[in-house]
Amino acid sequence: MKTGIVLLALLSAWLPLAAPGSAWAEGRTITFAVGGAPSELDFWEQLLRDFQAQTQIHVELLRQPTDTSLRRQSLVVALNARKSDPDVFLMDVAWLAQIAASGWLAPLDALLDKGGCGERSAYFPRILAVADTFGGKLVALPVYVDGGLLYYRTDLLRKYRLGGPPRTWAELLRASETVQKGEKRKSPTFFAFVWQGAQYEGLVCDFLEFAGADGGFAVVDGAVSVDTPGNRKALRFMRDLIHKYRVSPPNTYTEMREEETRLIFQGGNALFERNWPYAWVLHEARGSRVRGVVAVAPMPSFTPGRGVSTLGGWHAGVSRYSDAKEESFRFLCFLGSYAVQKKLALHLGWNPGRMDVYEDAEVLSRMPHLRSLRGIFENARPRPIVPYYAQLSEILQRHLNAALADRSSPEEALQAAQREMQAIVSRYGR
Amino acid sequence: MDRSPGELLRGYAFLVPLVLFLAAFVLVPIAGTFVGSLMQDVTFLPQRFAGAENYRALLSDPGFAQALRFTVLFTAASVPLELALGLAVALLLAHPSRARGALRACVLIPWAIPAAVSGKVFQLVYNYNYGLANYLMNAMGVVDRPVNWLGTSAGAFLSLVVADAWKTTPFVAIILLAGLSGIPGHLYLQAQIDRAGFLRRFTRITLPLLSTVLLIALLFRTIDALRVFDLMFVLTGGGPGGSTTSLSLYGYNYFLGGDFGYGSAVSVVLFLIALGLSLLYIRVGRFARELS
Repeated sequence: MKTGIVLLALLSAWLPLAAPGSAWAEGRTITFAVGGAPSELDFWEQLLRDFQAQTQIHVELLRQPTDTSLRRQSLVVALNARKSDPDVFLMDVAWLAQIAASGWLAPLDALLDKGGCGERSAYFPRILAVADTFGGKLVALPVYVDGGLLYYRTDLLRKYRLGGPPRTWAELLRASETVQKGEKRKSPTFFAFVWQGAQYEGLVCDFLEFAGADGGFAVVDGAVSVDTPGNRKALRFMRDLIHKYRVSPPNTYTEMREEETRLIFQGGNALFERNWPYAWVLHEARGSRVRGVVAVAPMPSFTPGRGVSTLGGWHAGVSRYSDAKEESFRFLCFLGSYAVQKKLALHLGWNPGRMDVYEDAEVLSRMPHLRSLRGIFENARPRPIVPYYAQLSEILQRHLNAALADRSSPEEALQAAQREMQAIVSRYGR
Repeated sequence: MDRSPGELLRGYAFLVPLVLFLAAFVLVPIAGTFVGSLMQDVTFLPQRFAGAENYRALLSDPGFAQALRFTVLFTAASVPLELALGLAVALLLAHPSRARGALRACVLIPWAIPAAVSGKVFQLVYNYNYGLANYLMNAMGVVDRPVNWLGTSAGAFLSLVVADAWKTTPFVAIILLAGLSGIPGHLYLQAQIDRAGFLRRFTRITLPLLSTVLLIALLFRTIDALRVFDLMFVLTGGGPGGSTTSLSLYGYNYFLGGDFGYGSAVSVVLFLIALGLSLLYIRVGRFARELS
């Protein structure tokens, strides 16, 4: 294990020497680490060229994988070794706190106060406050915000005369059972409701949305609270969707991640889908079997009006070890600029981290659903913002997944999760 | 031995590069990991000496206990299976035939594929919606509904053992094949003249003369199985409910979370188990040889 990390560090130390562009004068070149699908990375290359044309600062793109854990791994290895590259990088809101608490991010307050980076008020104030501020200092800027949504098929709801999208889980279940009964005859692979249940971070996000405002997951004054009546009810409901009502596929807890659910829904084999906003553009793309018959709604809840979305998204920060901080700050401001945020929305379907882009006429005409998303993002719930969140999440994922697999009861699972997480908090939370 | 001091010195001098190499790439990392395991080495907390704190925490960590249990069971199930299959394949391949060269090459293919890739391959086999296993079961009319292969602890466990056996049986087969080719042919000829049947030749000639090579294969496979990582990482992600999280995967998750001390402690425990088992094997092997 350790050998692997040492080797990785050696390798990554050597790579930049061999990479093209090392001829650029030191200090005028910065490295930007970002992951994603090949098409996304190609778009980044284009943006970097624009930036270079404007500022004469050369930006090297350090391509990372799509998977959030692998992206974190490559950053943790480089930053723990105090490497000066990457200078700028994107962080998942789920592990931003770990990076920030390790002291690896350069504070940005002075930068924004100088006004060189646009107005602070352009960003979602609550997201800046809960996700981007650590120890009283602003350390990151939201590049792209996310929140869970309920996608639904307008044609199927109409066909079975079910009215609008469900506002409560009971309504969702009723609609699911009705539609599945009818559709299953034609297509045996039809399942009414697909969501993310595999043992990974996405499961925690889904769980918090099932629980809604009646449940929740928090660490307050060194005490973990997750074994609550609201959460037990939610976990029971999740398990029952698979095993009792059978409206969610049996492999929900083994294979269902974002892309699996998206493909099932996009293939016309589901009525409801819980997913992030990225799926919208793909569902509406040419070749999608649900094009024109998809709509989004806020997540339902057990009692009406108590639904929540889990806050997701990616934030950009500058490394404390960067050897070209001035250039890095300029690049960060470029990422947060109105023009770039608009481009990211139009080309990648990303939801801007700036509120003003949500009023842009061109953006709205291409992405009318953004109008309703803005409210959802403003109220999206963060997962506990603690540096040891990864350890907590690993435990919670394991027990939630065991309950979904029917290996333990929801009560046992949440009890054990709370106990084990409490041990983690007492170990790290000093 | 009457060697001059100069000669001795030269002998040691020849050893120096190897010792340096081993020290740099084996001893130093092991020592480093051990020292790390005694530290509070968390990226977001001040670094300090922690003594046995990490190990004490391990003892009361149910996740670690589960990972330890799984890793030991996985090793106990997969290694004997791979040795048995590998031996069978080796015996078949040792048989003179015209296609032997081609067959040997074919058998090696799974071993040549990186474990992460073979994990992806088996994902296509076990997948609930479009997997090969469900397709075949359905085509043969064995089941009317798809099976969620990775959905139960036992199912996921067996699926992993099968995938591991597919990948590493060739390795065992090739090692044993080398051992087989070292057994003088005239022994079999003589045994056949004495009318010894296949089973007798196998138990009296093949197995005893193969025992050293078998021990080596056993040693390699046990160590490899104990530190298995890629298969679970790709195929199950450690699920369902953490039931297929191997020790390496468990330690990795802590490295990822920035706790290098705790991750190191997991690695040290894994190292000690592997070391203990290896010493045991060698001891037992030597004992058996002295008996015969």
